[in-house]
Amino acid sequence: MTECTWSREQFALLFYGELSFDQEERVEAHLDRCAACRAALERERALHAALGAIEVEPSPSLLRRCREDLRTRLMNAAPPRTPWWESILPQSGLLRPVGALTLVAIGFFAARLLPSTNLSGIFNTASAAGQERVRYVEPAGAGRVQIVVDVTRQRVISGRADEAPIRGLLLAAAKDPSDPGLRAETLGILNAQAASADVRGALIYALEHDHNAGVREKALSGLAPYAADPEVRNALTAVLLGDSNPGLRTKAIDLLTRGDVDREVVGTLQELMVRGEQLGYVRERCLRVLRAVNASAETY
Amino acid sequence: MASKPCLELDEAALIRAAQDGDHAAFEQLVRAYDQGVLRLAMNLLRSPEDAHDVYQEAFLRVYRNLHAFRFDCSFHTWLFRIVTNLCLDQMRKRKVRKEEPTVLATAEGPMDRMDAVPEERVDGDPQRYLFSGQLRRKIKEVLGELTPRERVVFELRHYQGLRLRKIGEVLGTSEEAAKNCLFRATQKMRAALGDFL
Repeated sequence: MTECTWSREQFALLFYGELSFDQEERVEAHLDRCAACRAALERERALHAALGAIEVEPSPSLLRRCREDLRTRLMNAAPPRTPWWESILPQSGLLRPVGALTLVAIGFFAARLLPSTNLSGIFNTASAAGQERVRYVEPAGAGRVQIVVDVTRQRVISGRADEAPIRGLLLAAAKDPSDPGLRAETLGILNAQAASADVRGALIYALEHDHNAGVREKALSGLAPYAADPEVRNALTAVLLGDSNPGLRTKAIDLLTRGDVDREVVGTLQELMVRGEQLGYVRERCLRVLRAVNASAETY
Repeated sequence: MASKPCLELDEAALIRAAQDGDHAAFEQLVRAYDQGVLRLAMNLLRSPEDAHDVYQEAFLRVYRNLHAFRFDCSFHTWLFRIVTNLCLDQMRKRKVRKEEPTVLATAEGPMDRMDAVPEERVDGDPQRYLFSGQLRRKIKEVLGELTPRERVVFELRHYQGLRLRKIGEVLGTSEEAAKNCLFRATQKMRAALGDFL
């Protein structure tokens, strides 16, 4: 292989900075004395640059759809199960086999030496104490099972909505996946405190992720006075681009186009037009705003 | 540079919290990496639908198996290993199916799905515009002819900017093997695109 051939084969790796010091020196030394290879290097550089022209950046709406769909799938997915022994075994790679052997030994001797335990007493106590739910069931050898039970007790707490413990409970209730009525009621109370960043965060979360349109509508009402806040604007943009509820989209575009319209909103409106917006009010509003700011309705 | 250990510390804390069932921590992890995941899948598969599917499956696998993550490698490496494996599977399936056409028949005539993606403008020079379009088509054609493994290595190095050592870790191979793969890919690109330059 000639020095020219060898050097030219290294050009790509040279651009990527993946040649060793010695290899790079050899190429550079050859380039110093070979005009033909210097010309070839320039052609290679042009090729390298041209490859960048086809890089694709995913659209914001695809990213939003991915995030929404993932959230839905995670809500419906069973919680990942960590085997109970994982919490006992040491994290260090070297100690793990030792820990595993210890657990096996304990299990072996415990099964042989300990008298059998009647668990019914434990269950009866738990039943009497409150609601219970079996979380995990695991075979424990010798025909026995180990059961992990969640026990829930009810108690009444009262206080002002802006007190820290009460607010903490309200923020948790705002995300309770089991009861949309509870979420809507909670957001109705929290809306009065939307000046606080953590409450606004909960409202934004509900607006972006709640499956119930009534709950999202409550969140939107609470956020309306804060439509100039960048995070609120992002959430409103997500609603405008992707919410399934026309009423919410209408409110979102009204809030986003109130007052001065920034470049991001213009881009969002252009994206809606390119996608062939179906909702008449939103389409008209887009066109009116885009005309007002002398922006094209065709590109984004 | 000084902030990197702190970021790594935060990430480790996030991962541990997510392993303990903290959904908000898991969501933060997703948000930290999901744009990169989607960009990689989109560029490798050249289809928004397939990229969407890979995104979903990758993060669901992370969610299901996070408890088994032992910090033996970086989270980024682990995640990208999952993503590239999913993309490789998808690309191999396509190869078996003799490649899904990127050109679709529409009411307005044939349309390349990826032409919907905005391209860099070359305003005011129709000849350059035409040349740019031809070159883009040729590059896509050549990329489609690389083997799935060459395609992945090329993508990770050229577009994602990963070093060959890291690419080796992601693909579960040596740096040298990744280098050879990149070498073959660039040779093929040069041979096919030389006339354009």
